[in-house]
Amino acid sequence: MSKTIEQLRQEYGTREKILTIEDLVVKFSLRGEELTAIRQASLDVYKGESLCIVGESGSGKSVLTKSFMGMLDNNGWIDSGSVLYKEEDLAAYRFERQWMQIRGKEIAMIFQDPMTSLNPLRSVGSQIKEAVELHQDLRGEAAREAVYEILENVGIADPVRRYRQYPFEFSGGMRQRVVIAIAMACKPQILVCDEPTTALDVTIQAQILQLLDKLQKMYDLTVIYITHDLGVVAHVADRVAVMYAGDIIEVGLSEEVFYNPQHPYTMNLLSSLPQLGEKGKDLYAIKGTPPNLFKEIHGDAFAPRNSLALKVDFVHRPPYFTVSPTHKAKTWLLDPRAPKVELPSAIKQLRSKWGDDIVAGS
Amino acid sequence: MLKYCTKRFLQSLVTLFIVVTVVFVLMRFMPIEGFLGPRYDKMDPGQRDAILKAMGLLDPIHIQLKNFYIQLLHGDLGESIIYRPHVPIVEILGPKIPYSLFLGWASMTLSLFFGLSLGVFMARFKSGFLDKLGTVYIVIINAVPSAVYYLFLQLYGKNLLKLPMLFDADRPISWILPIISMALGGIAGNAMWMRRYMVDELNKDYIRLARAKGMRKSAVMFKHVMRNAIIPMVQGIPASILLVMVGSLYIESLYSIPGMGGLLIQAIQRQDTPLVQALVLIFSAFSIFGLFVGDLLMAMLDPRIKLGSKEGSR
Amino acid sequence: MAKVLKDAAEKIDETLFTFAGYDAKDAERSGYSNYSYWRSTWNVFLKNKMALVILILLATVLAFTFVQPYLPQQKLPTLIHNDPETGFQLRNVPPGKEFILGTNSIGQDLWARLWSGTRTSLFIGFVVGLFEAGIGIAIGAIWGYVRWLDRIITEIYNVWDNIPSTVVLVLMTYILRPSLSTLIIAMCITGWLPMAKLIRNLVLIIRDREYNLASRCLGTPTHRIIVKNILPYLVSVIMMRLALAIPYAIGSEVFLTYIGLGLPVDTPSLGNLVNEGRRLMMAPSMRYQLIFPAIMVSVITISFYILGNAFADASDPRNHV
Repeated sequence: MSKTIEQLRQEYGTREKILTIEDLVVKFSLRGEELTAIRQASLDVYKGESLCIVGESGSGKSVLTKSFMGMLDNNGWIDSGSVLYKEEDLAAYRFERQWMQIRGKEIAMIFQDPMTSLNPLRSVGSQIKEAVELHQDLRGEAAREAVYEILENVGIADPVRRYRQYPFEFSGGMRQRVVIAIAMACKPQILVCDEPTTALDVTIQAQILQLLDKLQKMYDLTVIYITHDLGVVAHVADRVAVMYAGDIIEVGLSEEVFYNPQHPYTMNLLSSLPQLGEKGKDLYAIKGTPPNLFKEIHGDAFAPRNSLALKVDFVHRPPYFTVSPTHKAKTWLLDPRAPKVELPSAIKQLRSKWGDDIVAGS
Repeated sequence: MLKYCTKRFLQSLVTLFIVVTVVFVLMRFMPIEGFLGPRYDKMDPGQRDAILKAMGLLDPIHIQLKNFYIQLLHGDLGESIIYRPHVPIVEILGPKIPYSLFLGWASMTLSLFFGLSLGVFMARFKSGFLDKLGTVYIVIINAVPSAVYYLFLQLYGKNLLKLPMLFDADRPISWILPIISMALGGIAGNAMWMRRYMVDELNKDYIRLARAKGMRKSAVMFKHVMRNAIIPMVQGIPASILLVMVGSLYIESLYSIPGMGGLLIQAIQRQDTPLVQALVLIFSAFSIFGLFVGDLLMAMLDPRIKLGSKEGSR
Repeated sequence: MAKVLKDAAEKIDETLFTFAGYDAKDAERSGYSNYSYWRSTWNVFLKNKMALVILILLATVLAFTFVQPYLPQQKLPTLIHNDPETGFQLRNVPPGKEFILGTNSIGQDLWARLWSGTRTSLFIGFVVGLFEAGIGIAIGAIWGYVRWLDRIITEIYNVWDNIPSTVVLVLMTYILRPSLSTLIIAMCITGWLPMAKLIRNLVLIIRDREYNLASRCLGTPTHRIIVKNILPYLVSVIMMRLALAIPYAIGSEVFLTYIGLGLPVDTPSLGNLVNEGRRLMMAPSMRYQLIFPAIMVSVITISFYILGNAFADASDPRNHV
């Protein structure tokens, strides 16, 4: 353990915010009805950090990131709220030409499935070169040389030969490296990785995460991971934001969220980690299904599935309660009037296994 | 690549062989009078047998087949019986081919140019006005039997635009209606497929990545979507010769064009069996050849086939 | 914002801060979506206003086609009308009181012939569609199910698919004598191919697609997989083929009639009517004999074409979102 939790908190106190999302509401129109995919979510992203956004499928992780890249589907729009990046409010962007200044250039993105993320009919090199030409202002031979360099940086040997090859000649892991190379060719400030390892073999996953880590240090990147794989989170995250039903219900340093979760959803999520299961016993599973986002949600969205729900959870929406300078959660359990709740046994176990010294500080 | 071409070529040969055989055998089921010519009812049975024997039609079918193959290999398609009795079919066809080829090429060029452009714009402005208008056009052309709208085109082309109703090789103005008629179907088909392929491509993941790396929409359209969508279109181009041919059956007869399509109809109406047989074989051979060339073009353009990957084989 | 919320939070009733108890049913209900395939299909279809209008129009035309002969004062389609005074045929009488759509060149009532022709053509279309479905399903099922046959049938398919269907159509009708059954046979011979291919792919899906494997691993009985996973797809495919078989059949019939291989002239059909009208189209006063059948042909083929596609769209679960 290199740094104590206190040192980490202090460090964050001095960090510069690069992206500030405030009360963002994103809606979609589907079947003639309105669906609220992001419900007043707020999130700060600090320069140079690795932030993991976790949550189950449909919780709005991808929509959140697409909303600040101008890549929402045609039937979706930012209804209210703001996204501040370098003193610009991205939420107010309306035109493609405005987004051209952000997309790739400032914020780049890599996607879940490397098998389908590349144009199958064009050589790998030409696809990276497009990004180089767009964002590094290089042409012809110079651009080509830049591509070779990037290919080597992402760990692809023999770049001259590889340049001319087509995606189908690459394995899944290699293709993901190419996708990363395309993102890096844009020289972005922020890199959004949407489930970067989900479609890959376990052995390849670690390599890709290491590569991202290396590139982050090399280019002083801010990386936002979107994932539902808590293993990945534990591996890479400085901070964790937990999403549920279109809202960020808890955010904190990864140690804080893992060993001292406050929101019942976070506790449930961690309890369902297979690593914490006991031999011979059933694995823990969160009961029920996420709420229907077509309907207006009253109170805490997780309340109906929460065995520890308070009556107030069904009536009023909880605000953020601050746990530490870097840790806050939206749950009434943190209200002074709420009854005290025992941590689930799984969390205690998690703590005793790995994190006792860390929590001691809080 | 070479292996693929060889395989595909052999497949075409086998197909052609089967078609030749089946067509020949089927034709033997026709009433035998079809081979005797117009004066058969004035002949007595002895004369008929003599003629049939001379033509080899009384031999067992496998001998007839063998002779037929040998004939074909020498480029001999037999002789017409009724249309122009005892004239070798090759001679009948010779002067007709240029007309069919010229009209076919002209209308194919038109249908490619307008069809592809229409398809591209429909996909680019999907669910816009042009897309809707184009869809109406495609639906009408696809649904309504071509014989019906060919007739109306001919009728109103003559009445409203004062264009000639019949083809005349020396008056280019008389070529307009037949060429346009022939192109209408092709334009609809090309536009429909081009639009569909482009919309398919637009929904693929790599388009998202291309947009995420900051490419302009028009650049994505041009460098990725269109490029990929055009490949399956190229595959279909040689085969669309086939479409033109089929259209030419009507149109050549409707406008009295002395081409091969009109000839088939006359041969059918006069029950000139050897001529029908020869024309059916020629049309089939064209189409088999067209599909073969299409697959070759596709293989040359699609690296997945060219380099023999499993993913490419669909 | 957070400050405001905080203030609001202060005012909340203290008694609410007690446990609410947990109801498993509630937990499920919050995200419950009562999706039903056929209802969604129907809903998507209803959203398509144009298709709906066409459906009603077509239903009316179809109903009238069958009712028409039993209505009062209808004439026989093949009866030649003579002038009672002169004894001459009432040729080319323009549309009017006695003959709603006029008479043709030998004095038959065009109105009666039109509906009779529509009946014939629709009959051909339906029969061809059903046969295509039947043959297609049978061959497709064998093709997909019997593994060692797959290669052989695929090769046969490749050969067959290489031959232009118009040529086959012409050849078949040329060899067999013109009649209703000839037409139907010729059209079926060319039409079963895409259907069989579809069914074959469907069978492969039943066999190999992950969600079906998963279903089977979970112990779902085969008949349930077929009913729930396969049947909706199959029915929609058949419906679409059936809808598209009708414009195809009518088109082929018109074409074959034109080249002289259609139904005998004494059988009224849309192809025969269009062809009769064509001969007179250059005389403006007789042009109605082409225009009425042409309108009928276009209305029916366009309607079925649009309906077939609208149904295909509606039955595609991807459009149900």
